[in-house]
Amino acid sequence: MASCHTPTNPKENSKEKGTLRIALAGNANVGKSVIFNQLTGLNQIVGNWPGKTVERAEGTLYFKGYKIRIIDLPGIYSLSTFSMEEIVSRDYIAVEKPDIIINVIDASALERNLYFTFQLLELEAPLVIALNQVDFAAKKGMRIDAEKLSEFLGVPVVPTVAITGSGINELLSTAIAAVNGELKPNPLEIQYGKEIEERVQAIEKMLSKKLPELSTVYPPRWIAIKLLERDVDVAGKLKNYKRGKEILDFAEKLATELEKIHGESSPVILASEKYSLASKIAKEVTIIETPPRISLEQKLDEVTTHKIFGYFILAAVVASMFTAIFAVGDFLSESLDLLFSTLTLQIENLLSPLLPNFAVTLINEGILGGIVAGLTIALPYIIPFYIILALLEDTGYLPRAAFLMDNLMHKIGLHGKAFIPIMLGYGCSVPACIGCRIMETQRERFLAAFVVVLIPCAARTVVILGLVGRFVGLHAALALYLFDLILIFILGRIAFKALPGEPVGLIMEMPAYKKPVIKNVLMKTWARTKDFVYIAFPIIIAGSLTISALSISGTMDYVVNAASPLIEGWLGLPKETGIPLIFGILRKELTLILLSQLIPLTSLKAVEMIVFSLVTMIYIPCIATIAACIKELGWRKALTITLVDIALALLLGGIAYRILSPIMPS
Amino acid sequence: MRFRNRRKPRKPPTNNQGEISLLNLREGEKAVVTHTIGGYGLIRRLAEMGLTPGTKVKLLRKGPFRGPLQIEVRGVALALGYGVASKVFVKPLRKEANG
Repeated sequence: MASCHTPTNPKENSKEKGTLRIALAGNANVGKSVIFNQLTGLNQIVGNWPGKTVERAEGTLYFKGYKIRIIDLPGIYSLSTFSMEEIVSRDYIAVEKPDIIINVIDASALERNLYFTFQLLELEAPLVIALNQVDFAAKKGMRIDAEKLSEFLGVPVVPTVAITGSGINELLSTAIAAVNGELKPNPLEIQYGKEIEERVQAIEKMLSKKLPELSTVYPPRWIAIKLLERDVDVAGKLKNYKRGKEILDFAEKLATELEKIHGESSPVILASEKYSLASKIAKEVTIIETPPRISLEQKLDEVTTHKIFGYFILAAVVASMFTAIFAVGDFLSESLDLLFSTLTLQIENLLSPLLPNFAVTLINEGILGGIVAGLTIALPYIIPFYIILALLEDTGYLPRAAFLMDNLMHKIGLHGKAFIPIMLGYGCSVPACIGCRIMETQRERFLAAFVVVLIPCAARTVVILGLVGRFVGLHAALALYLFDLILIFILGRIAFKALPGEPVGLIMEMPAYKKPVIKNVLMKTWARTKDFVYIAFPIIIAGSLTISALSISGTMDYVVNAASPLIEGWLGLPKETGIPLIFGILRKELTLILLSQLIPLTSLKAVEMIVFSLVTMIYIPCIATIAACIKELGWRKALTITLVDIALALLLGGIAYRILSPIMPS
Repeated sequence: MRFRNRRKPRKPPTNNQGEISLLNLREGEKAVVTHTIGGYGLIRRLAEMGLTPGTKVKLLRKGPFRGPLQIEVRGVALALGYGVASKVFVKPLRKEANG
């Protein structure tokens, strides 16, 4: 099966103890990010791939005199075009050509993982394989013969247990040895059945004759295979060339022929062949030592996906999650607030003799106010939230929650995975918006983001509970929440029907439950918090500067007066409430803080409190959320969401005022 | 939740070759994939996740209402939405059909 093909030697001349680039690639849930964390520690940057909203994690490490850049590619199952992640990964591997790729594979699910390995081999990527989770495979009663696997694949295989760090050192040494050409790899070339092989070779021949330019970037055999699979992305690349059309037509003809012979569509035929080879190799290298027993993890899996108990557990998990977040958050928030309020006062005293009055206000309220707000209001809630989220992720609970909620999510045109960003939304809309990335298509992402910004985040909860809950009663606050859920459901359904395109069904791996590793949980939390600070803080500061400038220059009064027909006439609120509503764009909880400074809260009527909270809940995602939306969805979609929310809040606020005022006693 | 989706009438349980959709498999039952239907993207995705013709699958559990299904395929647990599962056709490995 394994025929020789000369390994492309990495440019050795430039590699004299210089910088190496190592990419980590593999399926989701194989422990790839754990290996990444083991390798890079805290020296990592999480950002986006240029122009794409796909997470890109990069880190540096020094090893045996080498400076090594590690790029963590997204966890994917294939290198096709199912998602942005897959396209980003394959372009990176093919175009950027990292010095070596560490393909992390799960020893306990070898067959499925090898399918991905084969695709890397077809891309002729220089590979070292990290056979990870060998401990977990042992638990399932399996042992993998790494040497035999290495012989089959023709590339080095290093067994690892990433969570304990075992094998990591050897993995790195092997990767470096491979880059330096010390190992003589003889990568397996996947051979297909005769009818397929003939056609692949025919396309390959035509390609190297008519389009040699493209073959310098992508291996011609790979292009041929992809064309036979009718890969849209590769077809698109060919369309850029004059002679591409001819090749495409030829490939199309061959694909149709092939489908006639096999009675399947061509991607299925090729996947079948790859899988039968994967299955064969997996059988050869797997030694079943003990028959698998029903483990604690399996029982846990059973209970947490149970038709009835599953939902109880889900409710309990969500409830305890928020109790914990609010308990810790409140405590931290208050302590920090106390600390900073004295600090800002001191700074003000320090500056006032030195600078003119307006400059002091600008610095104090604009810049410091923004930073303090971010530190005292956002972070205390977000950090515990991220910790719990990482715990839920690392144990493998989130897919179970998605499984349970799939049916309900389908009603608004999404699938179970969307429940994850929605859950995040109750903490903070910013990570929730970013979390919408897990949805596969642009359409799904937009829908999910639209829904997510309407979820009352921690800040909105502060307003609802602090105003309506405290002065009108808890039942009214809960009614508002319920109303919000119904609203989300209705709007989600409308958006789902209005948006063109087919909804995507759920296809999701359910990884086995695992014990979370605290170090990893903390590292994830750290990386995400950093990401949040980078996105949110500059905007919070810029926004708060702008608004202080407006208020100093007197423009604010003008705006408030202009808005008064809307505020007083339509919403039935006192004119002064316009100011907190405008400032609320910065941070939603600011609406309540400002309101209490402007008028005594008890002077408001119950209806006014409800209308005010309702408008605050819906009217606009805060400025940090808008920024996250722009980053994730682009200007136009972010603007659409913002405008729809403003219009909706005003509309519903006015209606609520008219319906509620006759019923409710003042 | 007794509403049936009016636009999608329920598929008959078996065709003449004894193929049924995954939805009609019982919990704990094993079967062999015969084919999948749907658009290019879905078919390709399912094949890439290991659901190629001839593959053995086991239905682990059905979700509540018209919820997703959890199956075992190639040693991995996979959740498939109701709609997706209705497009995967299998031949059950029942005792009476083993001959």
